[in-house]
Amino acid sequence: MITLGSQGKNTFLEDVNKKSGANVLECYQCGKCVSTCPVSQYMDFPPREIMQMIKLGLRNESYMANSHWFCLTCSACSGRCPREIDIPAVMEAVRHLAIEENYINDSKKVKEIRKFHEIFLSMIKRYGRNYELRMMAEFNIRTRNLFKDMHLAPKALLKGKIPLGVKPLKSAKAIKRMYEVAERLEKNK
Amino acid sequence: MARVGVFVCFCGANIADYVDVPQVVEEVKRIKEVKYAVEYKYMCSDPGQGLIRDAIVQNKLTSIVVAACSPRMHEKTFRKALSDAGMNPYLLEVANIREHSSWVHQKDKKAATEKAMDLCRMAVAKSIANEQLHEISVPVTKRALVIGGGIAGIQAALDIADARIPVVLVEKSPSIGGKMAQLDETFPTLDCAQCILTPKMVDVASHPYIELIPYAEVLELQGFVGNYKVKIKKKASYVNFKTCTGCGACWQKCPVKVPNEYNMGIDKRKAIYTPFPQAVPNKPVIDAEHCTMLTKGKCGICKKVCLPGAIDYEMQDEIIEREVGAVVVATGYDMWDPTPYEEYGVGRFKDIITSLEFERMVSANGPTNGVPQRPSDGKVPKNVVFIKCVGSRDEAKGIEYCSKICCMYTTKHTILLHHKVHDSHAYVFYMDIRAAGKGYEEFVKKAQVDTGTTYLRGRVSKIYKKGDKLMVRGEDAQIGQVVEVEADLVVLATAVSAPKDNPELARLLGISYDKYGYLSEAHPKLRPVETAKAGIFLAGCTQAPKDIPETVSQASACAAKVCGLFAGDTMKKDPMVSTINNEYCSGCQNCVKVCPYGAIVTDEVPIGHGSKELRTVAKINEGVCQGCGSCVAICRSMAINLAGFTDPQIINEIVSI
Repeated sequence: MITLGSQGKNTFLEDVNKKSGANVLECYQCGKCVSTCPVSQYMDFPPREIMQMIKLGLRNESYMANSHWFCLTCSACSGRCPREIDIPAVMEAVRHLAIEENYINDSKKVKEIRKFHEIFLSMIKRYGRNYELRMMAEFNIRTRNLFKDMHLAPKALLKGKIPLGVKPLKSAKAIKRMYEVAERLEKNK
Repeated sequence: MARVGVFVCFCGANIADYVDVPQVVEEVKRIKEVKYAVEYKYMCSDPGQGLIRDAIVQNKLTSIVVAACSPRMHEKTFRKALSDAGMNPYLLEVANIREHSSWVHQKDKKAATEKAMDLCRMAVAKSIANEQLHEISVPVTKRALVIGGGIAGIQAALDIADARIPVVLVEKSPSIGGKMAQLDETFPTLDCAQCILTPKMVDVASHPYIELIPYAEVLELQGFVGNYKVKIKKKASYVNFKTCTGCGACWQKCPVKVPNEYNMGIDKRKAIYTPFPQAVPNKPVIDAEHCTMLTKGKCGICKKVCLPGAIDYEMQDEIIEREVGAVVVATGYDMWDPTPYEEYGVGRFKDIITSLEFERMVSANGPTNGVPQRPSDGKVPKNVVFIKCVGSRDEAKGIEYCSKICCMYTTKHTILLHHKVHDSHAYVFYMDIRAAGKGYEEFVKKAQVDTGTTYLRGRVSKIYKKGDKLMVRGEDAQIGQVVEVEADLVVLATAVSAPKDNPELARLLGISYDKYGYLSEAHPKLRPVETAKAGIFLAGCTQAPKDIPETVSQASACAAKVCGLFAGDTMKKDPMVSTINNEYCSGCQNCVKVCPYGAIVTDEVPIGHGSKELRTVAKINEGVCQGCGSCVAICRSMAINLAGFTDPQIINEIVSI
């Protein structure tokens, strides 16, 4: 059961609104986002419910939801939202706040998604672009699922979808510097 | 010898596709009285009517049969065609071969054609016995009675009076203004109710065409449209309004304190009082139930302090009579009593109030000077829970219907709360948000987005006390979880219910009311302002719950209806009314009992020619009779005939088939 009215001001709503630039109060719970979202069926709380939870100030419950990890930020929801709310920005804000405040959903699925994000970013940092083969290999090793999606490999290889080598971008060094600046800024915050 | 003309209509394909029209024409031509018969594609069109006009003149016809659609559709059209040709319009007979034949027998053309022939034969037979009839003229008393002095009654009275028609406005309480005078601000524009209402109230009092009778009730209504006689009881106010200056010395000195109805009993008024400072008329009345002078004969202070000597303890109720031609009923509504909601702790917890109580609290002229307070300890509430649909849409404890205004006034309340207490938070438990109206949805958005009102979708299941807080438990269906809100104050959006006196009023006016007690309109869509009784109209919530804009629209519509009724010096009426043959009437009065319109009364006539002894017979008031024929059917001595449907006409019809 959720108790409301005792915690005073809804600081969670204010945090999310500030971080996302959206106004969650605009949401009138029509659910068009949920039926638009390609991954809403995998979320434990679909976007509409997350919006309501933010409105009610349910900080922990929102952080622990897996929804903001599943969100692809494809923006199909915000494209169709009748109140023109930037829902992916809201999802991202919740994700960032959850990481900042160390409330991480530790389910297997979320762990895998986070690993995927980390590996992807490390690829960009190293090569300035994605290196699909290495990315897949690293992901399968780190998630301890060596043969995941292996049956797709021959077809993808033949079609040239998975190049065997990678040619780093000319600007790879500049991109690396961007990472370093971002990391420094994050630390000094 | 009758000369009948028959005109059979194709109605495009409506009739012609299923009825063999030329065959019908051939068949009716065989009737010897039929001197002319013709078919046409659209008889109601101008050339079609021309056909009728020409045939009347050329063939010297004495009665006309049009075989076409229902007489409800075009009887008037064809009657006019007869008039235009110089023929009495009531010599027309309509055979309904569309609704009664072609439309209902689409699968059997032969039978449809045969039935159409039968219908035509019957109409021809009836028309032979048709007589010339003439419209009845009824004199009109050009004065209107308006019952109820809320915004509906005020608007209706002003609009009628502005058309220079005298109005008698009867209000049961000491001041006009009604429920609207109790409101603080109005949705969705948030303009102050007093600011827009009180000028109208003053207009009523000063209007040369309005006779305002406050503190009065309608006792009796007799007569018929255009000619009603009304008896009004002026309740004893114990104050002579002519000499009273409204100075206020009496109520300042009065020692008796009584819960103040205007402020929903939150504070006290005196036994001699004006309901509120802006009251119209601004004259006090003595509450006879509580005044110690009137109950025990002790006190008399008000009389001592009244310099003009306006106090009169001997005053009695007075019954006055007025003649009016039309009546507008605008008795408003009652707030539903939420006592059955035991699970909410209504009556047990002081900090649960109704919406009208909240309205008085946030009102600048209210008992708390516009700042809401907890009734238990007088503290300013921070968390306020509003519960919608209390009584509405609840078949078990309340009423089935939606009260229509609660969604919007609750939205308004959350905004007003925020205006008065900046650090407050409003929670609304709702089932639906019904915001259909100009600017309404935008108003709800304003509350949700700008004010930050939290809407929780679900009915509250229970309220319990925890310390000095009230815990309000309900589901938030949007996230599928049970929520509890810690509230300082709970406001119940109680339903709108029909005034409890409505059934009695309906009986005395001779109009009908529904199972809830709302007065019934003549047709829910096309005659929403009229009642089934001619000359009586409905305005405002007495017909069904509605908000102020709708109420005002309906009141103005009533005024238009009244003005229309009074447009001529006399009213025209169809001559299809019953007549009584005194020779046959035995005076049994069965007809008096069955007449649904109260059109039949008894009369005394001499027993024989020149005799002084009298006997009772029935007498029909042509102005009231609607020609339903109930009296004709019940009359055992066959003394009653209904013009246009006389015995020879009906017998002719039966014999013809």
